Amino acid sequence: MNKKYCMVIDSSVCIDCKACMVSCKVQHKVPRGYWRNWIKHSTPDFSLGKHTSMHFQPGGCMQCDNPTCVYACPSGATYKDEETGIIHVNEDLCIGCGNCVKACPYHARYRHPVKRVPDKCDFCRERLHMGLLPACVDTCPTKARTFGDRNDPDSEVSRLLKENETVRIVSRPVDTEPNMFYISSTMPMDWPGQVEYPAAHQAMTGFVNPLVKIAVGLSGLGVAAMFLKQLFTDDETSQDKEKEEV
Amino acid sequence: MKEKMPPLSRRKFLKTSLTAAAVTAGAGTPLIKSLVPKAHASGSRPPLGELTSHFTACDMCFNRCGMIARVRNGVIEKIDPNPKFLKSRGMICARGNAAIKHIYDPDRLKYPLRRTGKRGEGKWERISWDEALDYTAEKMLEIGEKYTRCGMMFIPGSDMQSQLVHRFAEIYGSYNITSHETLCLLSKNRAYLDTIGEVPYPDVFYSKYIIIAGANPFEAIITPDTMDFFEARKNGCKIVVLDPRFTKTAALADEWYQIKPGTDMAFFLALCHVIVKEELYDRDGCCPKMTYGFDEFFLHIQQYTPEWAEKECGIPAEDIIRIAREITAAAPAAMVYPGRRTSDYEDSTQIRRAMAITNALLNNFDKPGGLLALREVGVKTPYYDIPWYDDNPFDRVEAGLVPGLIDHEGSFQLMREAIISGEPYPIKGWFNFKTNFMQTAANRNKTLEMINHLEFIVNIDIAMTDTAWYSDVVLPGASFLERKDPVSALQGSSACACAVLRDPVVPEMFESRSPFWICQELSKRMGFGDSFDFTIDEYRLKQIDGLDGAMEAMLKDGVYYNPSQVYGIYAGSPLKTLSGVKEIYNQRYARSGVDPMPVYRKRRMPDKNQFRLVVGRTAFFTHAQTNNELLTEFMEENVLNMHPDSAQKMGLKDGDLIEVKSRVGSGRLRLELTEGIERQTVYMATGFGALSPQMSLVHKKGASISEVLEDYHDEISGNMAMHETLVSVRKVA
Repeated sequence: MNKKYCMVIDSSVCIDCKACMVSCKVQHKVPRGYWRNWIKHSTPDFSLGKHTSMHFQPGGCMQCDNPTCVYACPSGATYKDEETGIIHVNEDLCIGCGNCVKACPYHARYRHPVKRVPDKCDFCRERLHMGLLPACVDTCPTKARTFGDRNDPDSEVSRLLKENETVRIVSRPVDTEPNMFYISSTMPMDWPGQVEYPAAHQAMTGFVNPLVKIAVGLSGLGVAAMFLKQLFTDDETSQDKEKEEV
Repeated sequence: MKEKMPPLSRRKFLKTSLTAAAVTAGAGTPLIKSLVPKAHASGSRPPLGELTSHFTACDMCFNRCGMIARVRNGVIEKIDPNPKFLKSRGMICARGNAAIKHIYDPDRLKYPLRRTGKRGEGKWERISWDEALDYTAEKMLEIGEKYTRCGMMFIPGSDMQSQLVHRFAEIYGSYNITSHETLCLLSKNRAYLDTIGEVPYPDVFYSKYIIIAGANPFEAIITPDTMDFFEARKNGCKIVVLDPRFTKTAALADEWYQIKPGTDMAFFLALCHVIVKEELYDRDGCCPKMTYGFDEFFLHIQQYTPEWAEKECGIPAEDIIRIAREITAAAPAAMVYPGRRTSDYEDSTQIRRAMAITNALLNNFDKPGGLLALREVGVKTPYYDIPWYDDNPFDRVEAGLVPGLIDHEGSFQLMREAIISGEPYPIKGWFNFKTNFMQTAANRNKTLEMINHLEFIVNIDIAMTDTAWYSDVVLPGASFLERKDPVSALQGSSACACAVLRDPVVPEMFESRSPFWICQELSKRMGFGDSFDFTIDEYRLKQIDGLDGAMEAMLKDGVYYNPSQVYGIYAGSPLKTLSGVKEIYNQRYARSGVDPMPVYRKRRMPDKNQFRLVVGRTAFFTHAQTNNELLTEFMEENVLNMHPDSAQKMGLKDGDLIEVKSRVGSGRLRLELTEGIERQTVYMATGFGALSPQMSLVHKKGASISEVLEDYHDEISGNMAMHETLVSVRKVA
C-alpha cells in the first residue's frame, strides 16, 4: 500500500529553540540566508498582564494534496510521489523558471543560489531510506513534531489525529490540502500568502491549454526533425558552412 | 608539426549530448513530461562513501547530551540525538546541531603560537609543539621558583578533560584553581548546601506546581528539565514565572509576573509568611520537627506580609496569597525551581536561601516531584598523590575574603583583586583551558589590569578567544569530537544517574592536541611525568572499577545507567547539615556574622535617568564561544532591549545606535524596543563585541557584557553579581 507521510505538530510545546532549523540546515547543506523550515510566532498582547503569552509554530513544506507548486511547474520537475505523498523536485528536469517558488503560499521553497533550482523540504528522503526520522523531528527537544504514515492506522500520527482536534493552515482562496496538521489552537493562522501563477500560466489554463499543448507538441516534433536532419548531415560540409558563417 | 585537437563542432557536440541523453533516458530519467513515471528517478546522486555512526556526548554547553555523529569519508556530516540517552530525552538543541561548525570552524587554531608583540597586539610566531612545551614548562618552573607553586593560577575549564587539568594543577602544586562556575551557579549551590546539606536536582517530570524565578530554562536549555516542564504540564503541572523580562519561559508559562529586578527575596519571604501564618505547611512530617529554627523563623517572617511585598516587588498581594495556597496544596510534588546561573546580586546566596527555605516548607526534598538528593552513579576519581611544597603559602589567595567561599572553586573575581593588589601573596602566572574570562567576567578593564600583573599566560583553546588573544602562548586544543575523554558521571531529574565517555569521532585536525596530552608532556618536562604516566583507557578502568557492565553499555548504547535508588535516599538518616535537619536558621551563618535567616534589604535602584542592566542568553548561543556560523545566523549582533515608553521619554527609536555606559566601561549596539521588559531595566545577550579579530563572526559586532558590567560579588560565596550595574543610555550621533 502507498504511504501518505504527514506531520502532526503540537505547537503548544514549541520553545522556539531553533534546533529543527539548524538540524535541517546541516542535513541538507542549506546555504546561509535560506531555510527549508521555520518557526513562526504569535504577537504577545501585553495588556493581558500575567496571562500574556506567546505561541511558537514550527513549519515547513506542507506536502499538499492540492499542490500549487506542482501545477505551476512547466517542466514536470516538481512532482508528488504517489508512493509517499512527498513532493519532490527532480533537479535534472528543472529549467529554473522559479514559478513553483511563487506558487507556494507558504514560501516553503527557495531558489538555491548556486544550483539555481528550487529547494524544499522532502521529509528527509535519504534519512527515511536509512530508517531515520526527518532531521527536524529527530532533534526536536520537546517533540513538537511527529512524523509518520497516515495510511497506517497504528502509526503515531494516526493516533494523534484520532485523539486530537487538528487544524490545517491554508491559504485563501486556494485550499492546498496540506499534510501538516496542527493540534488545535495553534497560532498564527493568517500568514500564508497568495498563490501566484505566472501570467502566461494563467492564460494557458482552461480550454486554451490542450490546444497549446498540441501546438507545442507539434513544434516539438518539428524541432526533433531538425535535430535529426542536422545529425545526419555530413560533418565536413557543416564545418565549411560554419567557416562561412564566421 | 604539432597535431592539434580539432575544435568540437556544434553538431558534434549536439550529437554527443544527445547520445548521452539517450543513455540517461534509457537508464530511467525521463525527458518529456508526459513520460514521467509514477516514481521519479532521483535527481540528486547519492554521495560516495559509507555513512558510519559514532556515539559521543555534546560539549557545546555543560549538559553533556547524548549524540550520534554521522561520518562519511572522514568528515562529520551530521549530528543526531542518541535516543537511548534519557538525560537529554533523545534530543539535540540548536547548539549541539551546530557542533559541526565548531569542529570545522575556519577560525580554529591550527598550531602553537607564541606572542611576539605586546599583549593584545596580535603579533604571533608559529612554533613547534616541542618549543611550545619546553617554553611553557620553563616559564611555569620559573614562576614556581620565584613565587612558590601557588604563584600560578589554573582555570581547568568545565570539560570532560577538566578533571585531568585539575589533577595537573594540584600535582604542579598550586591551590589557586578557580572556574567558570564562580561566574555562574555558586551562590545557588551555597544556599542549598547551607539549607539541606547538598545541591539537589529538581524532579520536574513529576511535579505539579513550579515557580521559576531568576531562571530562563526554555532559552538556557538544561536537560532534562527543559523538556520535562512540558511533560509535567501534560499531567497538570502549573508553571508560574517571575521575570522582569518576557522571556520564552515567561511566554509559555501559566502565569508571568513582571517582577521588579532584584526583589525576588521579598516575594519568597511573603510566600513563606502566608505558608507559616495559614499553617499551610505539612505539620505532621515537616515543620517544625524536621527543620532547625522554625520558631525563630516564625517570628522573623511576621514583618514580611504580602502587602509589604507587593510594594517591593510589584506582584499583587492577593496573587502571592493565592500562589502560596496553590503550591502548598500541590506539595510535596511542588517546588521553587532552583535555577542555574545565580550570579546576579550581592545577596544572591540569601535570595536563593529564601527559595530553599520555601522548598523546605513544601517538604519536597528527596520526594517525587520535588528536589532530589544526589544519587549514586559510582564513577570514581582515581587517586593521586599531591606533593607537598614547604614554601607554599597556607591557603588559596582569596581565602577568608568571604565567609562562604567554596574551597575547590574559589572566586575568580576575588582572585583577580588579589592578583592586582599582590596581597596576601603574588600570583604571576595563568594556565587557562577553554575559559574566556575576557568575554564573560564583569569589568573587562579590570581583567586587562590583572593581566598586566602576570608574567606568563598559557592558553589551551580551540579558537583565538579574547582571553587567548591576550595570552603569551596559545596551544591549539582538540575539539570534543576529536578526543578520547575520561568517563563523566551525570545526573538529571529522576531520569537518570548515568555515565558517558567520548572516543574520537574523527582524528585531531591540524596540530591540535588534547589537554591530557599537553598535561602529560608538560609533566615530563617539569619532573613529575610519573603522575601522568597512564593512558585514558587505563584511567577509565579505574574510574568504573566495580561497575559491572558499565564499559560495555557505554560502548554499545553510548551511556551507562546505574539503577540506584531515586527517592527516599535519606529515609530517616540525618542530612549533611550541622543540625542534621533542614536549616531554616543557619547556625554557621550566625557564628560568622552573616544573617542566619534571609533579611530583605533595599538595593540601589536606578534613578530616573538610569537603567539596571541585566544579561542572559538565547537557546542558540554558547556563552563566549558564540563564533559559530550556524548560530550567528539567528542573531548577527546583540541589541539592547528597552521598553518603548522609556525610549520615548528619551527620544530614542527602535534601531538607533546607542551607547550603554556604566562606571567602568561602555559599549555601542543597536536598540530594540519591546514591551516585554520592565521600564527601568535594559537587557543584552552575552557573547558579542569580541576583541579578538580571529573570533571573526562576533569581532566588533554588538557589545560585550564584560565591558559594561561593573564588578560586584555575592557577599557569602564570592560568586560574581552581574545584575547590580546601573547604566545610562544615549544615542550615538
